[in-house]
Amino acid sequence: MTLTPQRSTAPGRSGPDAGKPPVAAHGGAGRPKLAGVEPWAVGLAVTVGVAGAALGLNGVLRGWAWYPAVLTTVLAVAMTMAALRALRLRGVLVGAGGFVALALVLTFTFFRQHSIAGFIPSTDTVDQVQRYLRRAGETVLGETTPVAPNAGIVLLICAVLGLLVILIDALCVPLGMPATSGLGILAILVVPAMVKPQSVGWLGFTGAAIGYLMILACSHWFHPGSGTRTDTAPAPGQLKRATLTGAMALALTLLLQLVVPGFDQGTFPQGSRLNPWGTSSGLNPMISLGNSLRSPDGTGRITYATSAATAPYLRSVTVDSFDGDSWSPDDRDASRQAGTGRIDSGLDSTVAEQVQVVTAVDAGQFTSPYLPVPYAPEAVNGLTGRWSWDPATLSIKGVDVNSRNQQYVVTSAAPKLTPAVLALSSGPVRGIPDTFTRIPANVPQIVRQTADTVTAGSNTGYAKAMAIQTYLRSAEFRYSLQSPVQGGYDGNGLSVLADFLTQKSGYCIHFASAMAVMARLEGIPSRIAVGYAPGRITGATVSIPGQGALTEYAVDARDAHAWPELYFQGVGWVAFEPTPSRGVVPAYATEPAAPSGASTNENNDGLVPTDNPKATGAPAPAPLPLPVPGGESGSDAGYVQLLYGAGALLLVALLLASPALARGGIRRRRLKASGTGPGSAAPAWAELQDLATDYGVPPRSSESPRHFSGRLRGSAVLGETGGLDAPAHAAVASLTGDFERQQYGRPDAGSPAGSPAGSPPGSPAGSPTEDSPTGDSPADRIALVRETLRANASWWARLRAAWLPRSLLARWGGRASTPLHSVAAPAKTAGHGAAKSLSRIRDAVRGPRRG
Amino acid sequence: MDYHRSTSVDEALPEPQGYGHASAATSPAPMEAAAFHAASERILRAINTVIDGKADAAKLALTVLLAQGHLLLEDVPGVGKTLLAKTLARTIDCSVSRIQFTPDLLPSDVTGVSIYNQASRTFEFRPGAVFANIVIGDEINRASAKTQSALLECMEEHQVTVDGKSYKLDEPFMVVATQNPIEMEGTYPLPEAQRDRFMARISMGYPDHDSELEMLETHQAVSPLTRVTAVVTADEVASMIAAVQQVYVSQSIKEYTVALGRATRESAMLRLGASPRSMLQLLRAAKATAALEGRDFVLPDDVVSVAEAVLAHRIILDRKAASTGETPQSVIRSILAKVPVGQEASPALTRAGRDRGRPDPAAHPVARPAGR
Repeated sequence: MTLTPQRSTAPGRSGPDAGKPPVAAHGGAGRPKLAGVEPWAVGLAVTVGVAGAALGLNGVLRGWAWYPAVLTTVLAVAMTMAALRALRLRGVLVGAGGFVALALVLTFTFFRQHSIAGFIPSTDTVDQVQRYLRRAGETVLGETTPVAPNAGIVLLICAVLGLLVILIDALCVPLGMPATSGLGILAILVVPAMVKPQSVGWLGFTGAAIGYLMILACSHWFHPGSGTRTDTAPAPGQLKRATLTGAMALALTLLLQLVVPGFDQGTFPQGSRLNPWGTSSGLNPMISLGNSLRSPDGTGRITYATSAATAPYLRSVTVDSFDGDSWSPDDRDASRQAGTGRIDSGLDSTVAEQVQVVTAVDAGQFTSPYLPVPYAPEAVNGLTGRWSWDPATLSIKGVDVNSRNQQYVVTSAAPKLTPAVLALSSGPVRGIPDTFTRIPANVPQIVRQTADTVTAGSNTGYAKAMAIQTYLRSAEFRYSLQSPVQGGYDGNGLSVLADFLTQKSGYCIHFASAMAVMARLEGIPSRIAVGYAPGRITGATVSIPGQGALTEYAVDARDAHAWPELYFQGVGWVAFEPTPSRGVVPAYATEPAAPSGASTNENNDGLVPTDNPKATGAPAPAPLPLPVPGGESGSDAGYVQLLYGAGALLLVALLLASPALARGGIRRRRLKASGTGPGSAAPAWAELQDLATDYGVPPRSSESPRHFSGRLRGSAVLGETGGLDAPAHAAVASLTGDFERQQYGRPDAGSPAGSPAGSPPGSPAGSPTEDSPTGDSPADRIALVRETLRANASWWARLRAAWLPRSLLARWGGRASTPLHSVAAPAKTAGHGAAKSLSRIRDAVRGPRRG
Repeated sequence: MDYHRSTSVDEALPEPQGYGHASAATSPAPMEAAAFHAASERILRAINTVIDGKADAAKLALTVLLAQGHLLLEDVPGVGKTLLAKTLARTIDCSVSRIQFTPDLLPSDVTGVSIYNQASRTFEFRPGAVFANIVIGDEINRASAKTQSALLECMEEHQVTVDGKSYKLDEPFMVVATQNPIEMEGTYPLPEAQRDRFMARISMGYPDHDSELEMLETHQAVSPLTRVTAVVTADEVASMIAAVQQVYVSQSIKEYTVALGRATRESAMLRLGASPRSMLQLLRAAKATAALEGRDFVLPDDVVSVAEAVLAHRIILDRKAASTGETPQSVIRSILAKVPVGQEASPALTRAGRDRGRPDPAAHPVARPAGR
């Protein structure tokens, strides 16, 4: 129903010559006759702009199911405002109408059941809104793009777009700043640009561009000359100018992105620091992991002390369901058991030798519903709040609390594993929930193929697992935080997996999920564990009763990690490490033939701390190097850094010198212009004024040249009138005289050097030319004055005049304030308009009350 | 005197005929710069021998004469108002008449009257006191409004109309009126219209210590006025006036003058701002000042130097401003301190001029002399 006005106005906008619109049907093609069409045309343009830009949100939201709701909202709001404007209402009333329309249409779309008559909001609606918004908040925080278009997020988007329609309309019509309304459209585009790895996409961009052009065209058509300076007839130079401007903007954009660091790293890793919610607070750790790894500084520091020989992995949650586009941990709230005093996996292990480890963890600022603990926890003590654990995955989750500021002691026990033990475990898997073995639907062909190729020739589960891990750790694969972002397969899911196996470059999520999925394809139950790789030794020790002093380790966001856990009958869940250069390959998972099995990778040998007390034999905890973009070697990075440093230094020096340089340029240009010929006195005079300003005698606007010159000569900066500084005084006087003659004298009076026709010798005014040093050019006089000024000034004044000239600052200040003034004027007008309509409303309200 | 003009009704604007000598042969040529300077020096020196320590007032009086304006001298009794007027008149070899304004003075005493001549059986016009080159109106505020307004036409249009007939006045023509700001009992303060017709009002002010001593010395025995002889002829004055008219006024000066006028009209402290006529007279006075300074073009300083004398008696203070102790002079001074001078008024133009190394637009707009 909202489409009807749109259809009727569409020809009205484009066809002033056709005379089709009903309003202009009998009036011909004159613009004034089309005044009735204007609100509709503008409304349509705004609709196209906003709805077009919203096209770019596809990819932020999955599918297109959300789009009709958005379109309805935008159309309803825009057309309501157009209708109100067509009724000759003004200003605030139209905006208020837009708000009312937005509220009604949102109620109608989302809360038909919870409102009065289907579209009037009630208290029930408000409750529902809160519920929806909470849902939207959870979606924003907890899900990765593209998110499923649930009602909450769609409501939020509809509301925001509706508000933007009102804003753009207000900018466009009452404020008369159609060009500025592009900011509103840009605001919509920013969302996909930030969130989507492929940026906005051509669809959203085209839609937004068309809408924006339509808005500009509307304002130009209906108010020619209001926003533009030139006439409606395009001058030939206009096209050339436009082309030149566009080309310059394009070139600048292309060059700038090369210079400014950080723009090639996806969602602005520099900007992610601005995220007020921190980096690791998501409900879905799988999403935040990539961002955590890319964060430039470690946040969410966790310290722990352990009795284990090597620093253990801290595991917070597992992902076991590989269905769907976005993997997330399954909370299994139904089967969770409360209380963490005794945790039992219920799995019987045939391995006799169990290793018991006590770990004291201080979660610090790390905020997550899941508790990071070493596998496999048997008991967790010292927690505050209520916690629950899942028998199937042994993940510990807060019921009403999170891990922030928790300090707890974990007792964990794991079977002592050796390759021999694992090799023996060849029996069929029993007693494992179906979720760990189910092969996801539509596994990409490449994954299946790779799995088969890699495991060909391996018989036991352990051999297959080792084959997969070896394959992933081979030189074919490269660890990179950036390439998934650039390649557009950052995140998780089966399609991402296919991309990863093609590109052979990614980070832990990709390696872990590849191994987990391939293992399942080969019949081994698997899941992905998410948590932290072993950390660095802090050097401190922590005493725990009954354990003595324990070495303390620390991990932060940069150590976030994911790894696969595979199940072997009779052994239990066994962790593997397929990610090269990260974490520690467990002893049982190293190739018997590999000589340096204990080391995590070759690149980091030099970075293993030498003070590691347990470096011999046992796998060493490998501190992680900061991921260097592009993986250059250290010396290369140093060189680049040096280059950047030198560039920055140069930039700073240039910046500091820029006032002096600019001032010098101005002076040279003026002195060049002041050589000879008519009109040469003005540049020299301007230079004299600026010189005086630099040395603290600025000219006043209400001051005549003669008065200014008198003040300058009277002030201390030019020294005494007689004696040493007399030539400078004479120079100032002659410059003044020349300028006066040029500025106020008869235009045909001749060159400035010539005596004025009417000036008698020895006139009482003391005509300045008489005592001037004859024969020297204005440039010489300026130089003389400058020398004298320098000689008479203090060192500080001299320095300031040279490096921070006041005349330049005043000039720049004046230019900078010009746009402010131009903004202030419309703002003031708008304010007056608002006040006027407000008072009118008040009068209108008061009227009937009185009557 | 030429009486060939039969009607004056249409002559609302006095400018086109600057001179009474309508025939081209008598139109004085502009005086050469050197001669101009010498003549003005002579006049000023002569005045200064009589009135001690009032060089500024003397110069302003001469300025008004050369700018074809009328002068209003206003000050307390005994500071030499009448003396200045008389001295100025004496230094020029021209006809001088003096009218002592009294309450019973009639308009016909000023302008003249037609008397029936029994012999010729016609009415003959007998010129009044106003038919002179310099008319000194002493204590002008003592005459009735009727008589005062008889001066109106004479001052503005340099002509007298009696019985529907207009008579041209001699050129140069200047009215120097004196009035006493205190002792206002039984007086008729000058109406606004008439005050507007005086180009400038000068307050003489008391002489300083040394001047007063000298005055006591020189004025003891004999009035120094008797020793003053004419130093210039009326023709010379006319050609000096012509020289003043040749002084060039640039566009920026005109803009500055207009800006000053607008500022007085927009000022919150003033009930009545400066009239367009006062702008014209301000510019004329500035031109005369420039000529006296030996320049053939006007500077903003010239406008500033005469602005107070020209404008102060035409504006009317707002009651609120008056109660806060403001005077017309102080208001004018504050306006002068605020209004940007021509060269700065249009920064865009000035900048363009600077950048291209070209003179300001002021240099090329109006080529013809602005004077009349």
